[in-house]
Amino acid sequence: MASFRQGWNIQIRVINALMLRELTTRFGRENIGFLWIMAEPLLFALLVGFLWRSLKGPLEFGVDVIAFAVTGYIPLVLFRSCVQRGVSIFTANGSLMYHRQISIVDFALVRFLIELIGHMMAYVFVGVVLYTFGLFPIPHDLGFILLGWSYYSVFTLALILIVAPLSELNEVIEKIIPVITYIMIPFSGAFYFVGSLYPTAAEVVLFSPLVHGMEMMRYGVFGPAIDPQFDFLYPLTISLPLLLLGLMLCRLVRRRLVVE
Amino acid sequence: MIACEKLYKSYPMGHGRRHVLKNINFAIHPGEKVALLGRNGAGKSTLIKQIGGVELPDSGRVIRKMTNSWPLGFNGGFQGSLTGYDNARFIARIYGASYSEIKDFVEDFTELGKSLATPVKTYSSGMRFRLAFALSLAIEFDCYLIDEVILVGDQAFQQKCIDELFVKRSDRALLVASHDMTTIRQICNRGALLNEGILSVYQDVEDAVDAYERL
Repeated sequence: MASFRQGWNIQIRVINALMLRELTTRFGRENIGFLWIMAEPLLFALLVGFLWRSLKGPLEFGVDVIAFAVTGYIPLVLFRSCVQRGVSIFTANGSLMYHRQISIVDFALVRFLIELIGHMMAYVFVGVVLYTFGLFPIPHDLGFILLGWSYYSVFTLALILIVAPLSELNEVIEKIIPVITYIMIPFSGAFYFVGSLYPTAAEVVLFSPLVHGMEMMRYGVFGPAIDPQFDFLYPLTISLPLLLLGLMLCRLVRRRLVVE
Repeated sequence: MIACEKLYKSYPMGHGRRHVLKNINFAIHPGEKVALLGRNGAGKSTLIKQIGGVELPDSGRVIRKMTNSWPLGFNGGFQGSLTGYDNARFIARIYGASYSEIKDFVEDFTELGKSLATPVKTYSSGMRFRLAFALSLAIEFDCYLIDEVILVGDQAFQQKCIDELFVKRSDRALLVASHDMTTIRQICNRGALLNEGILSVYQDVEDAVDAYERL
């Protein structure tokens, strides 16, 4: 047990140090500093929300259009930036391999955690601000929002753990990532409620674990009126094996990694 | 003790692979000062990287029964865009050491002054080595891995290195890769010579130096 605890302590120390380091290098200590991590998703969601408001009117699928855009966009931006930032992280951080307690999975984990924290902060912040203007409902069930985020982020983490090592093995990955994240947009569940789709379309999009997570989150926000469609077990039967595959790929790449 | 057992390492080269280390068997015991000799490109840095755990061998293993520093040299171990202080902070965090103590020691030992507040990428290789060396001394390892550079800087600084590493920490082990035979003779008591991927170990550093000079 002692050695497990030691290992755990080292792991916590390393993640902590890497996160602080990443925050310093990416956002610096000037002006609002690390609060910048929520600036991008915040701007994205709000601008798209107001754009839709002016194009489509106040309601979308029976809920406030801005709330709809924000609840869809922030997780989607999380997914996209995580996957894109996963490219080449091992080579970029190569000099840190000099410290044996740091493993390459830590780099992926830290990127993911920083993005996750930033996007969740943006989600809460924007929800509170919009609520004070009457544009966001009181959440129906906070537990489901969190559960939905967890399902959504487990799949995202699994994809980073796969993309990061693959991008080291083959340069083509880097080139096709933007296309893939674009193609994934309909499978993120951001732009519809599954309940309002044609049954065949609903069946197709429900193959994506992200859609289940998104439906849970939106059920948590808007309540049963949106007719949420999700399964508790199915997304895990995809995400967890992918997570395992990602860890195995990381291990494979670590063996081959050449450090300057 | 740190031991390499049947270590092999190769890198991709064109369509084939270049075999840099072939069946390395080697051990460093507490307190030993080992010189690692070999021509340029013989694989000295590669061997040090395997021992330090920076890269992983194709096959074979490294057994570590004492703590070892990261390979101290011209590059590696630092984030160039961060300042010397930030890097010290980072290293203190990952090794679970107290930053304020490390900071005092680093300021005193490196004599880098205001440069510590500038990004490490602006440092000369000598300055980098001073910082790396100071940090590894502050953290305290049983075995120091030194790649190519040692005793950089002026007389006074060299004296400080000797005091810290050979007087105050004479019980520590040391593995030094260097081409400077004067330094090697001065600080090492054993030697190992890498040639064409094969490591020959000598109990006396003089024998290793002779073999190296005959190459």
